[in-house]
This record gives sequence, structure tokens and C-alpha cells, in this order.
Amino acid sequence: MGDPTGSAAVTNGVPEQAPAVLDDVLFSRRRFLRWISGIGATISGVLVGIPVLRSFVSPALAKAQPATWIKVAEDIALLDIAVPIRLDFIQNQSDAWVESRTQNAVWLYTEDGAKFKAYNGHCTHLGCSYYYDKELKTFACPCHRGQFDIKTGAVLAGPPPRPLDELQVEIRDSAVFVNYRDFRLGVSEQVGV
Amino acid sequence: MRRWIDERIDIASIRETLVDRKVPGGLTWWHTLGSATLAVFTVQVVTGIVLGMYYAPSPDHAYDSIRYLEHNVMSGALLRGVHHWGASAMVVLVLAHMIRVFSMGAYKYPRELNWVLGVVLLFIVLGFSFTGYLLPWDQKAYWATQVGTNIAGTAPLIGGALVKLLRGGTQLGAATLTRFYALHVLLFPVLLGFFALLHLVQVIRQGIAPRTAVLDAEPPPRTDDPAYASYYHDRYARSKRAGVRFWPDIIAKDLVVATLVIVVLVLLAHFSGAGLEAPADPTDTTYVPLPEWYFLPFFQLLKLVPGSLESVVAVGVPAALVLVLLALPFFDRRSMRSLRHRPAAAITMGVTLAGVALLLGAAFRSEPPTAVATEVGRPLSSIERAGRAMYKARNCGACHALGDQKPDTSADTPNAPDLTEVGLRHSAAWMHSFMEDPARFHPNSKMPSVGPPKLTHEEIEEITRYLASLRGPNWATAKQEFYDTFPEPVKRTERP
Repeated sequence: MGDPTGSAAVTNGVPEQAPAVLDDVLFSRRRFLRWISGIGATISGVLVGIPVLRSFVSPALAKAQPATWIKVAEDIALLDIAVPIRLDFIQNQSDAWVESRTQNAVWLYTEDGAKFKAYNGHCTHLGCSYYYDKELKTFACPCHRGQFDIKTGAVLAGPPPRPLDELQVEIRDSAVFVNYRDFRLGVSEQVGV
Repeated sequence: MRRWIDERIDIASIRETLVDRKVPGGLTWWHTLGSATLAVFTVQVVTGIVLGMYYAPSPDHAYDSIRYLEHNVMSGALLRGVHHWGASAMVVLVLAHMIRVFSMGAYKYPRELNWVLGVVLLFIVLGFSFTGYLLPWDQKAYWATQVGTNIAGTAPLIGGALVKLLRGGTQLGAATLTRFYALHVLLFPVLLGFFALLHLVQVIRQGIAPRTAVLDAEPPPRTDDPAYASYYHDRYARSKRAGVRFWPDIIAKDLVVATLVIVVLVLLAHFSGAGLEAPADPTDTTYVPLPEWYFLPFFQLLKLVPGSLESVVAVGVPAALVLVLLALPFFDRRSMRSLRHRPAAAITMGVTLAGVALLLGAAFRSEPPTAVATEVGRPLSSIERAGRAMYKARNCGACHALGDQKPDTSADTPNAPDLTEVGLRHSAAWMHSFMEDPARFHPNSKMPSVGPPKLTHEEIEEITRYLASLRGPNWATAKQEFYDTFPEPVKRTERP
């Protein structure tokens, strides 16, 4: 800001008579005032900027939700063998300040009724709910025709960037528990959200 | 590049009018109050925008959204604190600016209309404050607004319609909250921005009022004297020629004051946040409402007048204040500006300020010994609050003690456990199962089962959530240690 000749400039058509000595004094005084202004504006900006920016970007830096153990089936004996089973469950969910109950699903697969595979019910491509295609004996996603292997969750066809998200399974007193969590969609690496 | 832009928007002339213009010399530090107000308004806009991202204007969620901001958003409490103290700063700075303009006679010729704009701005600021106070939807917000809207309701003739207009219905509720929210974030910012812009444009076009001595050198006695205009413009032009440039002389001074104000705001916000009381409870009959501190003198005045005069004072005083302030530059046309030459103005101002100070002092002294703390522990979520309501509705407190609430000690009450810290001793899962069938846990338990059909599972879960939140007076630091004994296979649950 400002011209280097400082106070000797012509303002509003009225020439200012400024002796050289006075010019020096005025010049340093002005420089001081500019410094003060700059410091003041910076302090104000930073002080207000910190809470404003931090609270604005806060959601982007939020930690991933921990997985939760959820009972998805009461009795292991009632589950089908060698056919994937979709199990819906209701979950209490905190969505920012709103607590609600949402329905989610996992797919369970077992060949011997003892060892289980559990997959998150969302397609890893863009999060649609996939289904079991009885003819092809694969998981198929209706949105973009992704296909997954029922035994391993591997991608067989279509755009999904990674295999189905496998979840931990535990059998407690003949009930089936799944350690449920969601992951970022559309990317090849598995990152919790 | 610079030349290209310059040719099109003529930066040089903008700079000349805004930045390089000359300003009368010898302006005092008191002259920085207007720009400090503008700085705080900017802070309010910026913080308000981010606050708006975390706010839900509905009675179901308003309180929870503020609680979320305070506890789950980085710097959220600080952000809200700055906005809260900024509101007080706006009122203080606007009033101080007004007192400065009044005592230097700066509202006189040719700045009468800019004074009127200033009065309009003052009332927009008060409107901001009144509507913003309700938004957190806590006890303080709810009850202060209840009283504030009732005051408007005492107005003769239009009172009934006015209170319904303010509340968006007969009751203070959901429609009031959205109404206040819309005024606070949509209408008032636009109005304040528009009028503040006009106010500033006038300051730039007319130049800031000079020191009183410049215009008090044997002027024509009245400003409506035909000779006054040329006297004024001659004296003003001379003072301006001998003055300083707006940049950096004036701006530096303005920025020093604005920075000090902002530092104070952030310190206040850091050490004493906006605070959040218990959620609004329309059924609470013990709560003593208090308005924001700058409305206290008026509040106190209402306490002093006899009941029959209350509606006259409640509506008459603010109305008279508006009229007097608006009319001031039109009936005071004597040309002398320094308070030394205006004894009547000096006395009126002194008496008014002293009266306001006395009322404020009296209001602070008569303040009740802080509102009754009804809850021990952290603020509750909406499900926990529903549980608390269910706890009261099912009269659980007839047998169980909880905090200050002692059970009915008539002869046949069973000896039920104190629930003040039950959240430390039992997990939510255990409490839920126990309430469904207490006899399964303790064969001799006198606790009646509240399982279906008495209460639904969801209702039991609500009570459970409420009970799980009860962690005694040291809730913030107290450690949970569960003694959950389940019937059949005996298990110790480690975590809820």
C-alpha cells in the first residue's frame, strides 16, 4: 500500500509542502502505523480464525467409529448351510446430535455350521445393498452389476474396487455375534469410517 | 494486469475516496468505537455462519445440537463463547459509540440522518440479542423469552396480537423457535448489513465529525440559521485540510482498539464460555428466569412500578426511548457542540446513565442465589430426558432416592436402593433386564416388574439410558465398576 514518496504526494489537487526532514519523520511514523495495523489485523484474524476454522473442519478430522458386537442370530442351529443368509438387525445410531434406530444388514455364509464368514451388507463400490443370485451362486449388486464370490468375498466382475468387507464373527452360547463396522466406499484399501 | 483491471474499475479513485481521503486531525480514541463495533459485527457473522452449520432450529434437536457443538466439535465451545460475548460487546460498543456521538454533538447539522440510522442500528442489535438468546433452548433461553414475549403482550390494544405474532402462535414453542431463528440468521443480518452500509457511506461522504472546538468558534447560534451551513462547511474544510490521511493514521488506531476488543472476547470465551443450562422444561415451576444482563435495568424498572402501571411502563418506556432518540437531532438545533456549552444535555445524559447504572446494580444485587440446580450430572440427551420423564411418570421416586429427591417415608415403603450413582454400579444391559423381571434376579425383590405390557421395551430402554447417565456428583471423574450379577450362568460384564 502507498507510494514510496510518502507525504510529498499530491492529494485532491492540493500540493503539500513537506520539507525533507519532516518527510523523514512522517515516513517513519507512517511505517510504524502500517506495522501496527498489520500486526493488529493479523492478531485479530488468527484469534477469530482458529475457532472458526477448527470447528468448520472438525468433521473431516473425526476419528473412525469403533466396531460394535451385534447379535445377528439367536440360534446357530437354525441357519442354512452352504447358502448365504442375509441377517437384518436394528442398531442405535448417533448421527451427530440425532440418536436414531437404523436397520443394517450382514451376509453370513457357512459350509459346516461351525466356521462362519460375515460380510458388511454394503457393496464396496458405492454402498448399494447387494443380493444373492441363486442361479450364478454369487453376490450381485443391482446398481452397477458388481459380483462377489460367496466363499471369499472376492470381486468376480464389475466395478467394485475391493472384496466385500469381512467382519469378525463369534459364537456365544449358540448365538451369532458380528463385530459390525462400516468402511469407506469406492476405494481399493479398507479404511474404517 | 494491474493496468487492465485499473482501467476497468478505476482502483485509483476508489483508493482516494476510501483509503487516502483526509480526515480532520486530533480525533480521540473515543472515535474508534464505531469501527470497533463493525469489527465485532464481522466476528459475529463469521462465527455465526459456522454455528449455523451445527444448529437445528427445532425443540427436539436444538438443545442436543448445541450440546454436540460444545462437546464433540473441535473448538466448538470456544466458537460459541466468542459469539456469546460478541453479542454483549456489540451492545456495549454501540451504546458507548452513541454516548460519544451525543456528548460531542456529532448528531447535529449535517449528520441528523446518520444519527437516525444509528438509532435504527441500535434496535436491530437489540433484536439480534433477543432472538439469539432463545436459540440454545435451555431453561434460561426458554424462560427469558417467555417473560420477554409476555412483556410485549401487556401492550394496550395490540398486546394479544403482538404476543402471538412474536411467538408464531399462542404458546412459546416450535413455531417460536423457527421464527426467532429466521429473524436472527436471515432478516437481521441483511437489515444490519444494509443500514450499517448506509451509515458508513454517509461517514465517508460527509467525513467524520471533527473535534468540538473546530465548530464551537462563535458559530451562528442555531444550526437552522441560514448562515450556519457556510460557517460549517468553511470550518470543516479547513480542519480537513490540516488533518491526517485515513490510511494509515486512522485505520491503525481503529485496528488497535478492534484487536484489543477481540483479544478480550477470545479470553472471555476461553475462560468463561457461553454456558448451557438444563434443557427447556415448560413444566418446571421453580425456575427463576433472568434476561441477558443488558436488559436487566429495564427488568428492574418493571419490578419497581406498581402492578397497575406495569403495562404502561413495559411498553411506554421503550416506545418513548425510541421516539426521543429519533427526534433528538430535530429538536436540538442549537449549534454549540461541546458538553460544556450544553448543560441541559450534560445533566440529562448524566442522570440517565446514573439511573441505568443504579438499576443494573440493584438488579445484580437482587439476583436470586443462582437458579435452582435440579439435576446432578452432565446434561442429558433427548433419549435420557425421555427416560427421566418416564421415571417421574411411573413414580419411581416414591421408593427410590435420587440425589436430593428422597422417597416417601411412610410406613409401608420398601427399602429401595438409592439411584444417585446407579450408572456407576450397573451396566445398561443389566438394568434393562432387571426392570423387565426383578424376581428373576432377586427372588425376594419388592420391585414390581415394569416389563410389557406395563411399559414397552423402548420405554424401558429410555429409563435405562437415563439411569445409566446417573453417576453422582463427581460424574465427570467417577469410575464405573459394575456389579452385574445375571441369573443362570453368572457373568461379570466388563464394559457396558
